Amino acid sequence: MEDRQEEILRLENISFSYPKVQALKSVRLTLEDGGLYGLLGPNGAGKTTLMKVILGFLKPQTGDGRILGYPLRDSILEIRRRIGYMPESDCLIPGMDAVTETAYLGRISGLPPTEAIKRAHEVLYYVGLGEERYRKVDTYSTGMKQKLKLAQALVHDPQLLLLDEPTSGMDPNGRREMLDLIKDIAGKGRISIIVSSHLLPDIEAVCRSVLIMNKGEIVAQEQVQALNQSSANVFEVKFTGDTERFLAELSRLDCRIAEWERGISKLVLPISETPRTLFSLAQRNKVQIRHFKRVQSTLEDAFMKAIGESNGY
Amino acid sequence: MAIKEKGYIGWDGQLQKGSLAWFPILLQGIRTVWKKKRSKIVFFLTGFPFLIFGAAIFALNKPELKFLTEVIRTLKSDRGIFNTFFTFPQLVFMLMILAAFSGSELISADLKYRALPLYFSRPLSKWDYLVGKLSIIFFYLLCFSLVPGILLVALKFLFSGSLAISFRLLMGILFFPLIISFFLASLTLFLSSLSANTKLITIIIFIVYIFNDGFAELLRTILKNDHYYLLSIQKNIIQLGAFFFGTGKSWKFPLWYTPALLVGMSLILLGLLYIKLRKVESQA
Repeated sequence: MEDRQEEILRLENISFSYPKVQALKSVRLTLEDGGLYGLLGPNGAGKTTLMKVILGFLKPQTGDGRILGYPLRDSILEIRRRIGYMPESDCLIPGMDAVTETAYLGRISGLPPTEAIKRAHEVLYYVGLGEERYRKVDTYSTGMKQKLKLAQALVHDPQLLLLDEPTSGMDPNGRREMLDLIKDIAGKGRISIIVSSHLLPDIEAVCRSVLIMNKGEIVAQEQVQALNQSSANVFEVKFTGDTERFLAELSRLDCRIAEWERGISKLVLPISETPRTLFSLAQRNKVQIRHFKRVQSTLEDAFMKAIGESNGY
Repeated sequence: MAIKEKGYIGWDGQLQKGSLAWFPILLQGIRTVWKKKRSKIVFFLTGFPFLIFGAAIFALNKPELKFLTEVIRTLKSDRGIFNTFFTFPQLVFMLMILAAFSGSELISADLKYRALPLYFSRPLSKWDYLVGKLSIIFFYLLCFSLVPGILLVALKFLFSGSLAISFRLLMGILFFPLIISFFLASLTLFLSSLSANTKLITIIIFIVYIFNDGFAELLRTILKNDHYYLLSIQKNIIQLGAFFFGTGKSWKFPLWYTPALLVGMSLILLGLLYIKLRKVESQA
C-alpha cells in the first residue's frame, strides 16, 4: 500500500473554455482522503469537464492543482495510475469476454500478468458478474455493462474512483445493487469516490458530501446532512383569493415558489423569515391559506436552493 | 463465502511502471488477430512464397537441378533471389491483405465502441496507444517478410554450407521488410481511424490497396511522367527492391525517392493520427 495523502485533490483557480463557452470558471476545490463525494449540477454545469480535467483529457487554461499528491500539469500518467474511471458512455472493447477485457485493462494500468487475471476474476465476482464473466461483452445488457465498467475501474485497486452516472440505464434492482456496491467500496475507507449524477436520490442515498456545480463554478460544497438542514424552511402551501399581490410581496422577501403540484405550491422561505411572516402577508392581502405543512427537506431542495442562489434568484 | 458477500477487497501489490506501457496492447492484439476467422488461410497464403523460394534455394544448391537457374534468370544470384522474393507480386499482394486483415478494425472498432476513455484513463499516453496498435500490424507483416528473409539466409547456409553474403545484401534483407512493414502499418492504422464504421473502413483499405497501382498507371499513361509511379505502393516496392538489392533503376526518378517517401509518409500519417487522437480524447 502506498502512502496515503490527507488531501486527495486540490484544485486552484482552474479555468477551461471551449471555443464558444467557458466550461470551468476559476474552480477551487479541496477533497479529503476517504470521502464519498456527490457531484451534482444541471446539464452544462461543468461536471464532465471537471472530470476530464482531473483525468488529464483536457488541460486547464489557467490554474493548477495536485491530485493524490501529484501535480496536475506534470504527472498525469502517475495520477491516472492511481485513478479508476467509470465513463458515462457505453464503452467496451469488442470481441473480448469480461475476464479478458478486465485483465487487459488491468495490465495497461500496471498489474503484473498473473495478478491481472486473478484480480479480474475477483472484481467481476464482486460486482456480480461472476457467472457471466466468460460471455462476450458485446452481448451484455445495459446493467451488466455498467457493472463491467465498475469492475474495470476497480481492477487495479485505485486510490480515487471517478464514477460518471453509474446507475444510468439500470433497472431499479440493478440501480440498488450499484448503489450498494458504491457504499460498500466507500465503507472500506480505502478508496475515495467522486460520483457524478443527475439523479439526486442516488447522491442522497450514498454520498456524505456533495458538490453542486452551476455555470462552471462550484456553488456549494457541504455535508449532505448540513445541506439538508440549511434548506429546512420549505413548506407545502395551498391558498385561494387574490394571489397576485400576495406573490409579489413574497417575492420581495426573497421567498421562492419552487414547485407546483395539483394546486399545492412548494414555498422556500429565507432562513431569516418564519411562517408567521407568511400568515401576516396572507391576512393583509386577504388570501386564505387552505393547506400548510412543513416538508421534510431533501437534497433536491438544497440543490434547487444552491442553483437558485447562484443564478441570482 | 462469495467475494461479493465479503465486500470489496483491495490489492496490496505494487503496480508496474516502465516504458513499455504499449506492450499489453501488442500482446492482446496478436491474440485477437490469431483468433480471427480465416486467419490461418491468410497466414498460409502470405507464407506460401517463402515455400517456393525455400525450394528454389534448395534447387540452386543441387548440381542435378542447376538447369533451373538457366530457366529462371533471377535465381542466378543471391541479389536476384532476395529481390525477387521481396517484390514477388503474390507476397506484396498478401502483405497488403494481411495489413488490412490485422489492422482495419484496430482504431475503428475503438471509435465504434467508444473504448478510448478506457485506454486514456490509464497510464497510457497517446503515443503508447499508437505504438501498441501499430506494433500489432508491424508484428504480423514482419512475420511474413523479415522472418522469411532471415530463414532464406539460414536455408542458403544450410544447403550451400557457406554464408558468403554481402553486407549490402544483409542490410537489404533487414531494412526492406522494416520499411515496407512500417509504411503499410502506418497507412492501415491511419485509414482505420477515419471512421467508426468498421465495415466501411475495411472496404476503403481494400480499395486503396487494390486500385492505387491502377490509378498511378493511369496518371503515368496520360501525363507521361514516371513520377506518378510514386503514388503506387506496388511500384514503390519494386523501386525499393532496386534501391536495396542494386538490381537497376526501373523508372526515371532517383532511387532514394522511394525510401524517403515511404518513411516520410509513415511519419506524417502517424503525426496526423496523433492529432486526431488528441481531439478524440478531449471529446471522450
